[in-house]
Amino acid sequence: MIKEKKWFPVIYMFLVTALLSSIVIGFTQFTSNRVEANRKLAFEKAVLAVLPGLSDEKEKATGLQLHLRFAEKVNEPDDYSAGAYTLIGSGKIIAYALPISGRGFWAPIKGIIGIEADRKTITAIAFYQQNETPGLGAEITKPEFRDQFKGKVMRMGEKLLSFERPGTKLDKNSVHALTGATQTSTRLETIINDALKKWQQQLGDGLDRN
Amino acid sequence: MNGRIMQSAKQKVIVEGLWHNNPVFRQVLGICSTLAVTNLVLNTVVMCVALIFTLSLSAASVSVLRKLTPRNIRMMVETLIIAFYVIIVDVLLKAYWPEMSSNLGPYVGLIITNCIVMGRCEAYGNSNPPSLAFLDGLFNALGYSFVLLIIATFREVLGMGTFLGFSVPYFSGPNWDKWIVMVMPPGAFFMLAVVTWIFRSVQSRKEQS
Amino acid sequence: MNIETEMSQAFVVCISAIFTQNILLSYFLGLCPFIGVSREIKTAFGLGLAVIFVMTSTSLLNWLAYHYVLEPLGLHFFRFILFIIIIAAFVQFIEMVIDRYSPTLYQNLGVFLPLITVNCAILGASLFMVIRDYSFIVTIGYGLGSGIGWFLAIIAMAGIRQRLSNERIPQGLQGAGITLIIAGIMALAFIGFTGVLQ
Repeated sequence: MIKEKKWFPVIYMFLVTALLSSIVIGFTQFTSNRVEANRKLAFEKAVLAVLPGLSDEKEKATGLQLHLRFAEKVNEPDDYSAGAYTLIGSGKIIAYALPISGRGFWAPIKGIIGIEADRKTITAIAFYQQNETPGLGAEITKPEFRDQFKGKVMRMGEKLLSFERPGTKLDKNSVHALTGATQTSTRLETIINDALKKWQQQLGDGLDRN
Repeated sequence: MNGRIMQSAKQKVIVEGLWHNNPVFRQVLGICSTLAVTNLVLNTVVMCVALIFTLSLSAASVSVLRKLTPRNIRMMVETLIIAFYVIIVDVLLKAYWPEMSSNLGPYVGLIITNCIVMGRCEAYGNSNPPSLAFLDGLFNALGYSFVLLIIATFREVLGMGTFLGFSVPYFSGPNWDKWIVMVMPPGAFFMLAVVTWIFRSVQSRKEQS
Repeated sequence: MNIETEMSQAFVVCISAIFTQNILLSYFLGLCPFIGVSREIKTAFGLGLAVIFVMTSTSLLNWLAYHYVLEPLGLHFFRFILFIIIIAAFVQFIEMVIDRYSPTLYQNLGVFLPLITVNCAILGASLFMVIRDYSFIVTIGYGLGSGIGWFLAIIAMAGIRQRLSNERIPQGLQGAGITLIIAGIMALAFIGFTGVLQ
């Protein structure tokens, strides 16, 4: 019987794998454009969310409208912005949108942090990729957490922005961490501080170059 | 199988999957991948739908191939089939509902090693015709889902004061101090223990009478 | 990164995988055998050791497979299928080796090996290793640490359950119920470790 030949299991395994893999590959190809478009849109949405005046939480813009707005209003990073996207008006930079990323509790957290022209005051923060625990770490995407960042100022020294325990008093350089999500909060604090420090350093170098 | 036997076999499968041999409080299998997402009812619903899809189709597929598959590689073949359906779900979510895909994170992928899926394929799919295997998978997954939804309801209402994202009157107000432990892993364990206790007690009382 | 920083990172990752990011109590992976096989210390010990061995080895094998086969070919999403195949094949291979060279060990341990293939913690560890982009040396620390963390959890659970075996537990709670409650308390306790490592 063919089933009992020694080589049958190997051939069978190979055939089943080949069949299933080709269907999966086909599916992936078919949806890859959508997946890529979704990814890009999430990124652009986050950039628009932190630049002043470019988005409204209540409006219901379509993906296409947001994409067009991004293409029109947002400027790509250049030598003077040290990796940040910029909003320019009347020939001057109004605000920066700096991409930040790093390791979260479950998977990488990626977001955008907005900084005003004074290079010290935060406008907002938005996330376009995170896989943290729903209800705990994932609350970083909710307005209750994000709104804290509006108007906070980077301090001089080691820690530019700090995360304090919920319930303690805040000053203009700190925000409340998330209750019950210590790991995500700690990691996010590191991600934000590392990115801002690096940015300030590169900006300083850029200015020196003029 | 003739019509009569088929009919009663189907009924048996339905009742076993939903109650007598419920995957969650009887078999206590397949807990890992879903316990972490039961703190929000919406995520649990999506996860359970993914599981229903995967389990019923995998069991049916394993059953279709059962006469061809050599005994000593059957577990690997089962795993391949399960992985296939899970990847399809993962890809579909990423393309058509990206927010949910990122909420469910690594857990959709972990349905592959979900003991219930592998367990039913091994225990039932390998030795029964496709239509029965499909039903067995379907009703096990439904039995699994309804228990998890109960857990998720308690966790979301008690821990966050919402249900499906909407505020629940008393629990989201200032008089209720949200039970944060319900949103965290320990809360899941405790809720599951309580639910198991209740259902098992009901079951044994019914069996005694 | 040079060898020294990698080794110190591997050490930190190892320690955190045991305590602050225990793959079972913080990430919920590997629960089925944890609840099912934790009745006695002896069996838990055997299963735990087997998990340490398989987890470390398969993490490394999967690292090699991912970085030398899948990445160059651009087939990242294949990792689910490939990792599972490697894990299943490895366990099958180990089973054959043990059966051949030590029938007594096979008697004691052999029955656990199929259980390990479906232990989601094993696959989970490999998937995390990819997501977090660990280097080879750090993966050694991570696989080892996750395995030891899992081992610790199941030993502790078995110890507690053995102590409880003479107590009167309500019928509905016996077995799975009480185990889950203990697991919840353990998870709560382990949260206390969170601030230990920065």
